[in-house]
Amino acid sequence: MRVWLALLIGLLATPAFAQLHPTARTVITQAVEEVIRPGFAGFAAETERLAARQAELCAGPSADALAVVRGQFGAVVQAWSGIEVYRFGPLMTDNRTERILFWPDRKGIALRQVQAILATEDETATDPATLYGKSVAVQGLGALEFVLFGTGAEALGTEQGAFRCRYGSAIAALLSSTAAEMSSEWADPAGISARLIRPSQSDPDYRDNAEVLQELVGVMAHGLEMIRDQRILPFLGRGGAEPKPRSALFWRSNQTMPSILANFTALRALLVNSDIWEYAPTEQFWIGEQAMAEFDSVAIYGSGVTGTVEEAMADPAQVDQVANIVISSQVIDKLVGEDLPAALGLSVGFSSLDGD
Amino acid sequence: MWQRRAFLKAAGAGFAASLVPRRAEALERAELVFASSIQKQAGGYAAALVSEAGTLIASVDLPERGHDLTFSPVTGQAVAFARQPGTFAVVFDPAGAMAPQTITSLEGRHFFGHGAFSPDGRLLYATENDFENARGVIGIYDVAGGFRRIGEFDTFGTGPHEMLLMPDGETFVIANGGIETHPDYGRAELNLETMDPSVAFIDRRTGDLIGQLRLADGLHKLSIRHMAFDAQSRVWFGCQFRGDPGDRPQLVGYATREGEIRLIELPEGTLGDLRNYVGSVAASADGAIIGVSSPEGNTILALDAATGGVIEALSMRNGCGIAGDAAGLLASSGDGELGGLAGSGVARLSVPVLFDNHLRRVG
Repeated sequence: MRVWLALLIGLLATPAFAQLHPTARTVITQAVEEVIRPGFAGFAAETERLAARQAELCAGPSADALAVVRGQFGAVVQAWSGIEVYRFGPLMTDNRTERILFWPDRKGIALRQVQAILATEDETATDPATLYGKSVAVQGLGALEFVLFGTGAEALGTEQGAFRCRYGSAIAALLSSTAAEMSSEWADPAGISARLIRPSQSDPDYRDNAEVLQELVGVMAHGLEMIRDQRILPFLGRGGAEPKPRSALFWRSNQTMPSILANFTALRALLVNSDIWEYAPTEQFWIGEQAMAEFDSVAIYGSGVTGTVEEAMADPAQVDQVANIVISSQVIDKLVGEDLPAALGLSVGFSSLDGD
Repeated sequence: MWQRRAFLKAAGAGFAASLVPRRAEALERAELVFASSIQKQAGGYAAALVSEAGTLIASVDLPERGHDLTFSPVTGQAVAFARQPGTFAVVFDPAGAMAPQTITSLEGRHFFGHGAFSPDGRLLYATENDFENARGVIGIYDVAGGFRRIGEFDTFGTGPHEMLLMPDGETFVIANGGIETHPDYGRAELNLETMDPSVAFIDRRTGDLIGQLRLADGLHKLSIRHMAFDAQSRVWFGCQFRGDPGDRPQLVGYATREGEIRLIELPEGTLGDLRNYVGSVAASADGAIIGVSSPEGNTILALDAATGGVIEALSMRNGCGIAGDAAGLLASSGDGELGGLAGSGVARLSVPVLFDNHLRRVG
């Protein structure tokens, strides 16, 4: 009887609490297993398809085969936009971030170097092994976008585009091998996943759960800043400046807005699928709820931006929609970059997360 | 140092009268006053004066986030610089006797967050970005002319960060961090592959380059950013590493005007606690102790300037600001903490503001 009573009291004392509040370990595990790991696996799968389609294009050039490769490029950009925000662990070794996407490129270094490779038909750019030794600006998504969509890309549909096609193949192969390496590093149960899920005092970066949660919150805060400062404002213009659509990332492939919206979707997925917002006290759930609502607003504003960036920036209504996305990103930034870490008992990151 | 009485005298009756009694009482007990850019708890940014007892003495609102402050050695006037890529600096009188004045950066330039006065207090200098040319400059401002910008010198590098006037009063030392940024892309770092950090010694009057020091070839991703002088006028510096996060290069060293530059060997565990990121460097009043901080690693180190040995390691979450106090070092954090180390008598305490990266002793 006494045992039963004790059990009953125990149940009453924790009404649904355990369900409402995940543990830190659960949050981190869900982030790794349900968000990050599938994201990197998806990028590996899409780049593998890209390499295969590109090889098919080179083996049998045609307008249709080119269209297939171009479509697959969009799928790769989407997958990349979902993982590029994870700037720790596998993405940060061996300059992988820059190898995959050299951006921002204010001086147009990539364009000049890629055009030089095409003009001189530099054969060393057609072998992934030797391409790897070249400038990071000529071996990633930006370079491949110019190959597939830039001036002269139509030749890829014919025998005249043979060199260009082989260069594109080498880029796609490099992307695919890098993506496979990163995916297997994330999949390795003893690798970065273990370091995050089971932090320890002897780990150089993750001594305890708080440092891992800080990393995850940092992904959201830094990601939002990146989207705004590097992806939207360069073409929207700052402080009422004229829009500059050609300063947009992926304008040639018309992937500018899709990639930006995929960035937001990825950050929302981290917030929601990790349950990190529910790790806060119940009375602070509004933070996550408001952030989700704001993410939904971004999607709605985004659906109002149609056509190319150039077209969108010539239409005041669409310029407004993009400006609204910037404002929403600032609201989310405040919520997940300041309010959420405070609610989670983490450092607000005022000095350290974005220091100088 | 501003003793309490000296401070009250300088502050004037009007300022003291504006203090609520509890604060005035706190000031009675305070010996030292420190300044820092802050984020206010209710949001918004300011430059604040805080006593070592943790009393918030005064604050001046800033339009956006500030960074470091510098003080006129003659008038005591303070200047809070915008954090990069900000375009304002706010001049104010710590004693509250004059209205704050805002300096706006020249078109095509923005501030990097640090600066210094000339020894006679007539000129103010600030590190700035000539961003179209990815060129560091020192903006020169005429104090008597209402802080009118009257010229600039080259820093002989990209992305200058902290600048100091050497104890000789004639030589600037500049930490050229080496990182290119452009306001079109916010704070994005645009040249990590080719960055070329250096310490430059520059003639204060002519702008001529006296000497420029670089670390060994393999260390070009080690951005040299913050500095302080020891008792021998050696320039201690702290770095931030932009290479592979799995690497842990040494981050702290010193340079001399005579052309020596070297990194000291911190023990592996201590180095690991800095997380490849030193946020500020400061010296004790006698120049015998060098403080370096890592908000990333929640660590404040006190080093023996003579030997490079670690005197004390203080664990402080988000700790970044450091300043010499009466006997040792005082550290501040982005969570609003103050704490003394290396002989400081200041106990750990909490202030209802969030301190930005730098702490300065006033007076």
